[in-house]
Amino acid sequence: MTWHTFFDFSTMASRHLVFVYTGVWLLQGGYLAWIAWNWRKAKSLSPRD
Amino acid sequence: MSRSSTVRNAAWLWFIATIAVLVVGFRQAIFLVPTEETMGNLQRIFYYHLPHAILGLIFPYVNVVASLAFLYWRRRDPLKALTADALAVASAEVTVLYVGICLASGMLWGKPAWGIWWAWDARLTTELLLWLLYVSYLLLRRFSPTGQTGTLAAVLSVFAAIDVPIVYMSIQWWRTQHPAPVFGPNGGGVDPRFYPAIFWNIAGWLMWGTFVMLFRFALERRRQLAEQDAALLAIEASLETPQ
Repeated sequence: MTWHTFFDFSTMASRHLVFVYTGVWLLQGGYLAWIAWNWRKAKSLSPRD
Repeated sequence: MSRSSTVRNAAWLWFIATIAVLVVGFRQAIFLVPTEETMGNLQRIFYYHLPHAILGLIFPYVNVVASLAFLYWRRRDPLKALTADALAVASAEVTVLYVGICLASGMLWGKPAWGIWWAWDARLTTELLLWLLYVSYLLLRRFSPTGQTGTLAAVLSVFAAIDVPIVYMSIQWWRTQHPAPVFGPNGGGVDPRFYPAIFWNIAGWLMWGTFVMLFRFALERRRQLAEQDAALLAIEASLETPQ
């Protein structure tokens, strides 16, 4: 398989393959970004900082 | 070097190593392993579906161990109980994420492969139940108005964990739309040429899940310590108020 055939949207099977791989990275990356954002926010809320 | 900077450096190293392993796993899964004969390229969904399915049955055990530790320590040592509670909430969120991805990727695979998005068979139904149990666990923690939220959540966690072995055994106990196991003593086996994609992705998503869970744990500890600081400052301020 190549990048070209990976991003082939002509059939449902190839579309769903791209949806799974991009969706997993988006969900996992989004959750990590949410934690990182809250990490910074929690630090700025600390009363002793 | 202080302890916090050592931990930060170790976390960055772990994160970089995780990304490297995931990149290798992606390359193996998409470009290097041969195309499966029956399903063609659609079968490559397996290399992301399987790690999330396996790990979605492991993180609940972290949750139940942390919840049992919370129940044990809540009267004996409340500070240790808070630490266990932080680990419980972190592992529950990661469980919801991994089981949710397992369900979604399974549906995206099922539609082109079986012609249906969903079947109410034992594996899919018990997996959905597992996801709903951990979503309800998080909702309980978020919206419970009582002071016993941690205890209630810990008890719910113990009940939720009972579903994990049922999910695992479902494809052996009942005939299901979901395929039979490929690994283990009763497994149907996998062509060894697919092993690199399978094992690199299991390793990568295990490393990622561990990193995310510990980061979330650290965030919860930071919140708990900030709340304790705020409470202490409020007590100090009330003591300093002139009569």
